[in-house]
Amino acid sequence: MNALRSRRFIWMGLGPTLILYALFVFVPVIWSAYYGFFNWSGIGEAKYIGLGNYAEILRDPVFWRALKNNVIFVAASVFGQVPIALVLAVLLHKSNMLQRFLRSAIFLPMVLSTVVIGMIWQYIYHPQIGILNFLLDALGLGSWKLEWLSDRGIAIYSLIPPLIWSYVGLYLIIFMSALQNIPGEIHDAAKIDGASGGRKLVSILLPMIKNTVQVAVILCISGSLKSFDLVYIMTKGGPAHASELLATYMYNSTFTTYRYGFGSAISTTIMLISLLLIGTSQWLTSRKKDAS
Amino acid sequence: MNISTPAALRTDGDGPRFSLRRLGRIIFWTVLTLYGILTLYPFLWLLISSFKTNADFYNRPFGLPETWHADNFSRAWDSSRLGTAFGNSLIVTLGSLLLTLFVAALSSFILARFQFRGKGGILAFFVVGMLIPIHSTLVPLFILMKQMSMLNTYWALILPYTAFALPTAIFILTAYLTSIPKELEEAAFIDGTGLWGLFFRIMLPVSLPALSTVTILSFLHAWNDFSFALVFINKTGLKTLPLAIANFADGYQTDYGLTLAAMTLSVIPTIILYLLFQEQMMKGMTAGAVKG
Amino acid sequence: MRMNKWISMLCAVSLLALLLAGCGGNGADEKNGGNGDKVSITIWHNWTGQDAKAVAMRQIIEDFQADNPDIEVIDEGIPTDGLKTRLRTVAAADEMPDLFVMWPDAMTKEFVKGGLLQPINDELDAKPEWKNNFIPNALDGYTVDGNIYSVPMNLAPSSFIYYNDALFKEHGVKVPETWEELEAAVQTFKEKNVIPIVLGNKANWVAQSTLFSTLADRITGTDWFLKTVEQDGAKFTDPEFVEALTKLKQLGELGAFQEGFNSIDETQMMQLYFQGKAAMVINGGWALANLVNNAPPEVLDNTHITILPAIEGGKGDPGTTAGVVGTGLGVSKKLTGSKKEAAMKLFYEMAGPDGQKATLNSSTLVSYNIELDKSQAHPLFVELYDLMQEVKITPVYDSKLGSAVVEVVNNGLQELLDGGKPEDIAKKIQDAQAAAVAN
Repeated sequence: MNALRSRRFIWMGLGPTLILYALFVFVPVIWSAYYGFFNWSGIGEAKYIGLGNYAEILRDPVFWRALKNNVIFVAASVFGQVPIALVLAVLLHKSNMLQRFLRSAIFLPMVLSTVVIGMIWQYIYHPQIGILNFLLDALGLGSWKLEWLSDRGIAIYSLIPPLIWSYVGLYLIIFMSALQNIPGEIHDAAKIDGASGGRKLVSILLPMIKNTVQVAVILCISGSLKSFDLVYIMTKGGPAHASELLATYMYNSTFTTYRYGFGSAISTTIMLISLLLIGTSQWLTSRKKDAS
Repeated sequence: MNISTPAALRTDGDGPRFSLRRLGRIIFWTVLTLYGILTLYPFLWLLISSFKTNADFYNRPFGLPETWHADNFSRAWDSSRLGTAFGNSLIVTLGSLLLTLFVAALSSFILARFQFRGKGGILAFFVVGMLIPIHSTLVPLFILMKQMSMLNTYWALILPYTAFALPTAIFILTAYLTSIPKELEEAAFIDGTGLWGLFFRIMLPVSLPALSTVTILSFLHAWNDFSFALVFINKTGLKTLPLAIANFADGYQTDYGLTLAAMTLSVIPTIILYLLFQEQMMKGMTAGAVKG
Repeated sequence: MRMNKWISMLCAVSLLALLLAGCGGNGADEKNGGNGDKVSITIWHNWTGQDAKAVAMRQIIEDFQADNPDIEVIDEGIPTDGLKTRLRTVAAADEMPDLFVMWPDAMTKEFVKGGLLQPINDELDAKPEWKNNFIPNALDGYTVDGNIYSVPMNLAPSSFIYYNDALFKEHGVKVPETWEELEAAVQTFKEKNVIPIVLGNKANWVAQSTLFSTLADRITGTDWFLKTVEQDGAKFTDPEFVEALTKLKQLGELGAFQEGFNSIDETQMMQLYFQGKAAMVINGGWALANLVNNAPPEVLDNTHITILPAIEGGKGDPGTTAGVVGTGLGVSKKLTGSKKEAAMKLFYEMAGPDGQKATLNSSTLVSYNIELDKSQAHPLFVELYDLMQEVKITPVYDSKLGSAVVEVVNNGLQELLDGGKPEDIAKKIQDAQAAAVAN
């Protein structure tokens, strides 16, 4: 291969991508990080206060609550969405009618707007006319009935099923496309070996789509750290901040309470935390690779 | 078509042990089917509710409509200029989709198949893009677009949608392409294919499954976006669907029949796209298996 | 390398298209500058729905357009939440539209501080018959440093008890006039398995705006509240405020509100009332249109309106309800000459006597003295209108406190009704307000 030619090709190919991305993603991010050093309402004069906003964030109990809730969300997605999607992808990677139907059904929540999903789950959890409490009553489990979204102790956990349920489809299609990359002989070989179900997944398929699983985990972490819509629609971060997430906390500071600088500082903090988490997860998976 | 026969229906093996196993499988698939139906329910709810009057929606949120108001759809279509919004959404979504696919595929090909200095840095640079809570970029992006005189044009949406879809797309595609065996391009080089030829004639077809995943994701991202469209577009003629749908809801009063009818209409293109690509992807797989 | 050239060309063409699109947009903007014969003005509003008020306001704009062929009105409707977000963004970039729907108090103050608005004193003074017909204090929320920046286009008393008289009669309960009677009513309904007061406090301002602002005023009096806002010799940790919090907490503990009230929204709150499951709902005057349009006849025909009962020993006037004047129109500072003239003309159409009349006729209360045509209005709106002739307005908490403090109050009330301690919550509110005033 001609080295000069390929170098030109590399930069010609990457150039537009980098320009587009730098201009519309990176510049605004740096810009907003810069606002984070100011006491600014978003309008008029801004006052430079150095790390003042960050100091206030660290002192704010609401921030720590939001962080804790976000960690719960990340854990639920990484250990809920990814494994469920992986198992489903292995089970459903054939193409008869039933599987085709199931695949589409599982993907469907991704298509619906979060407003609809939030609306439906609110009616499922509804304290008076909700389906869930109605079902529990019908099954004679009346004592299990809870105030799903208004009990400050459990509101954040009640948000996890809708979260997992609406995104499993995304990881399902990611894994499905990865599984197709595995040559047919390997499936056949596994069959001859008598490997099936769980064993096939762990010993043969998993190592082959390791890259994709890593990508899915990163998507999962970044996605759940940013998650906003579902919580904003279902609980508005309440009651009394019980289900506040970093992104809702940021949104409220920026657009409800006229503290633009503070909000920008929060969003920079979110990015730093995400980087830290993703770095850790990368380090963990690569360490495992070395060990094996 | 042996491959696609579901395990539960296979007739090999008899005797008590096997029929017990078969029973287990039947139960297993029944449970999965139930889960599938459960995930379909929200869509059915949306569809059914879109035929209701507001009073009907209030009084019996779960029931069938008292009378089926098919005119909700035509009223929704007329009263919020849904037709124009549909067209606008199609233009910006397809525009950003094509741009994303081309740019991301090319970059991923380079990142996955070439060794060069600064590659790790570029990859890390793209990870950051997945961590950004978009609300914090609204103000900087707005100012940027104002200076580029881009506000109130389709580009004000196409370019940011593309830029924000790039990181995820590049991640998925790079992971996928890395796992393709080296022999493929070596064979092509021996045939005398150039780099662009390699990209267009070998890499693009091979990465179809991953490309279809990216297509679905980018489409959803642009099709459902509310925040960017809200801020960067203020010409009624350029409004996209999510904005037009939001118009049915006013602070204190929402016309649920119209809103849900409009939402139902807006979901149709996504479902068509999904079915198209998902099935394409699965066909690709069976073909590959036969070839392999 | 034929392919290579192709790609380069493709890139060049798309870049060119990009630039052209940019320039195109620019050109269009300049045309709007309007130094020609036709003046164009932009107005952003939240009258997007199909309800009577929104339809009436859009009609005014359309009529204005028809009557003034030399003025081009570019109007854009955006739902309330979206409008607020959009306004915040363009404010940061100093790109306000010519006219826009603006909220009194906090938003007006911030926008004035940022130098985005121009006062309308001259226009008001030129038309005394307009200016002097607003109800007392109506312009306060739009006045900063003695300059008036807008006028309210409606009135939002925030605290009425809408009650289902059929349920009161069925269970032999008297419509409460004192706090004890309210508590007795709550107890009776609770025993009969009827929700006494349905509350939807998910969007956490509901309890504060519709219930607590009035309840607290009954106990502390308005003077105390205004002094505390200034942190002038009174504090939120004062015993009267703690007593107000305690009173609300006790009402909650008595079972006045249905289970899970912190998780359902205003829509679902009204829904439970429509279904006849609740005897009372406490909501603002704005709820009336929804009630009239969507409640089934058996509920609507039995619904009547009253104010929160008196509290014995309280310092406040019992004949009041909390409330704020409604939204007005902000006028961009950049407007001058013929553009400003055109904008002010539209302003007067919308917020002047005719606009106010149109608003009142769409079953929305106004902060302006005009007679309601009772033969045209829904009987329930007539009832509300008549009630408002006797009732005075006291400040809603969220109109007088800064937005950061309002968040603390709202979240505090959610916590209070979910077992929080009044003293702790009073302290949090006091700390927040002290910090806000010190800034």
